[in-house]
Amino acid sequence: MFGTLSYKTQKNIIIFSFLLIPVALLLLFTYYPALKLVWFSFTDWDGYSPEKPWVGLDNYKEVFSNPDIFGVFTHNFAYFVMGIVQNIVAIYFAVLLNGRLRGRNVFRLLLFLPYIMNGVAVAFMFGYVFDTTQGSLNLLLQAVGLTSLGETSWLGTPGLVNYSLASTGLWRFMGYNMVIYIASLQAIPRDIYEAAKIDGANAWQTFWRITLPNMKPVIQLNLFLTVTGALEVFDLPFVLTKGGPAGASQTYVQRVVETAFAYNHYGLASAMSIILLFFVIIVVGLQQFVLSRGGSGK
Amino acid sequence: MKKKGLLIAFMMVFALTAALTGCSGSKGNAGNGGDPGNNNGSSSAAEQNTTDQGASGKLSGKVTFLTNRTDMIGKEYDDYVKRFNEKYPDILIEFEASQTDYNQQIKVRMASGELPDLMFIPDIPNSDLPKYFAPLDDLELSAEVTFKDFKSYDGKLYGITTGNSTSGIVYNKKAFADAGITEIPRTWDEFLAACEKLKQNGVIPLSSNFKDKWPLGNWVYDLPRVIENNKNFPNERLDMEAPFSMDNGYGKAMSLLRTLAEKDYLEKDINSTNWEQSKKDVANGKMGMYFLGNWVINQVIGVGAESDNIGFFPLPFDNSGEIRAGLNPDFFYAVNKDSKNLEATKAFLTWMLEDSGYEDFAGFISPLEGRESKLTQLAEFQATGVELQEGTPDDPRVIEISNKAQIDLPAIAQEFVLAKDPQAVLDKWNKAWAKAKKDLGY
Repeated sequence: MFGTLSYKTQKNIIIFSFLLIPVALLLLFTYYPALKLVWFSFTDWDGYSPEKPWVGLDNYKEVFSNPDIFGVFTHNFAYFVMGIVQNIVAIYFAVLLNGRLRGRNVFRLLLFLPYIMNGVAVAFMFGYVFDTTQGSLNLLLQAVGLTSLGETSWLGTPGLVNYSLASTGLWRFMGYNMVIYIASLQAIPRDIYEAAKIDGANAWQTFWRITLPNMKPVIQLNLFLTVTGALEVFDLPFVLTKGGPAGASQTYVQRVVETAFAYNHYGLASAMSIILLFFVIIVVGLQQFVLSRGGSGK
Repeated sequence: MKKKGLLIAFMMVFALTAALTGCSGSKGNAGNGGDPGNNNGSSSAAEQNTTDQGASGKLSGKVTFLTNRTDMIGKEYDDYVKRFNEKYPDILIEFEASQTDYNQQIKVRMASGELPDLMFIPDIPNSDLPKYFAPLDDLELSAEVTFKDFKSYDGKLYGITTGNSTSGIVYNKKAFADAGITEIPRTWDEFLAACEKLKQNGVIPLSSNFKDKWPLGNWVYDLPRVIENNKNFPNERLDMEAPFSMDNGYGKAMSLLRTLAEKDYLEKDINSTNWEQSKKDVANGKMGMYFLGNWVINQVIGVGAESDNIGFFPLPFDNSGEIRAGLNPDFFYAVNKDSKNLEATKAFLTWMLEDSGYEDFAGFISPLEGRESKLTQLAEFQATGVELQEGTPDDPRVIEISNKAQIDLPAIAQEFVLAKDPQAVLDKWNKAWAKAKKDLGY
């Protein structure tokens, strides 16, 4: 029966029939929930009752009239700082493990392993590391003679707590970034390095003039992941500190979850997530703009 | 922290609940339909004759019970079913284990109309009770139920407490004796003196589990109304512009906790505490006391303490010598109004309240009035002459204001204890309260 159709129609039928299922899944599981979220953000839904009263922009007005809500973004700053450190460390290990090093595959594996572990399990594990009186970190510090440092309350000191939590993220995601960097390093043609060597470039010059510029798109990608990750961090403080001490490690997403599930303001929480979505778009757009300006010349 | 998909995943949590529960719903139906018919029953007589669907007077059918006590499935519950089936051989009981967040799970199932037959009531306003649950006024019980007006609406009873608890000091008797404390403290000063003795003896006087927040609940939910000697005090906040002040129940209760923290009578670092470990420490005497509900007694015994070594007395919150403590209901049983086997479910609920012995297993005071507890600690507690103050149901408007202002009392207590200036904390939340109250027009 297909013989009667023109070649073009047949092609279209094939294309559409192959696309039908993935597109349907995409619409059902990504765009439908997203649209639902937008719709909820205009209602005053409490999370369980059948009626969802429409309140228009009230939720958005409420979020912006409460400066307290955005104050928690300062806590995310620690994750951002640690994210930058994480990328630098990842590049360092990537360059190191891309060279001729005995047992480099073992080292790569070791550094990548933490990423495979479940986030909540990691958080629990670090709960035992950071414990003030029984924690392995403080016991280690005391064992090497740093007694006063060994009494630090890593998760109980406002300010410090976010860096403690973020360092856990560094431990966990550094290997992931490293693997991406290694992949990009291997894509750089060897002959550029050979030419540089002939011209008498030293190791630092090769790194600065050849390796880094060639890795730029990947660095951008990793920075994008770092920034969005820093804005959206949730599992670590949720498991380890519940936002404590006295809210000093609460993050924005945690606050959204609390608004929805503890205080039954699903509408307001939806509005908060939509705002976060735009916030991420703005920050990432800004980052792209800044980073791509220098790049056009190269 | 690196997942770009986190936000999307988060969105999906919101909106996919409908789709997900839809799946579980169809599964439940299939289960009901395909279940072995227990109707061709044996001849043993069921004496309870309620108006049921089969005119035989014998109840049958399947009852599903969504429970949070996952630890009892396959153990105590099996025993309950065996004993229950001696009386009602044709009723099939099925226990469904709840995931971690019972409250949330029930609400999701409410939204999708797929409730089990028997469950506990989640935190919804009482006016919503008739939408989901069947009235329970016709249960034939041997005594009045406690907290009758707690989960009632329009004069009908929708929820019955699974057991009641009180709060007080659970202590290690040996740790007290070793520190030279011979009598249980009856005033706040005596209590502080006892703490000092414990501390001098190398014992952490009181395990607060401050970091975990929920263990502070008794300081802020019970104690304020007990201090005020006014069981309706939490609801009277409805008429207050500034419900949190230093000289009312809230400020006084939180100040007690702050005093203990300042005198180092709590854990060495209150921001780094470990609940599971604390139970063992109270059991073996490294920590002296808990201020928690009586439910914790069985848990401490469960991790290895001798029952004789664990005592229970009311917290003396001031120096007047009058001792009061709050009486609180635990979860409330409720029956799905659309249950296919309504009468069978009610029969099971009646049995759970009357004969199961669940309250002794769980360490509760019986939900039925006038029943004496078999637990020695509770008897000890009552021997101090304590006055047990029943609570009142929360006014939905007060809950609404609290939720609007995002007030989480244990979290306020944490702030209060950690802050340099506790008054500023109270001021901040008073402001949030006043604003929410005004926005809602109460």
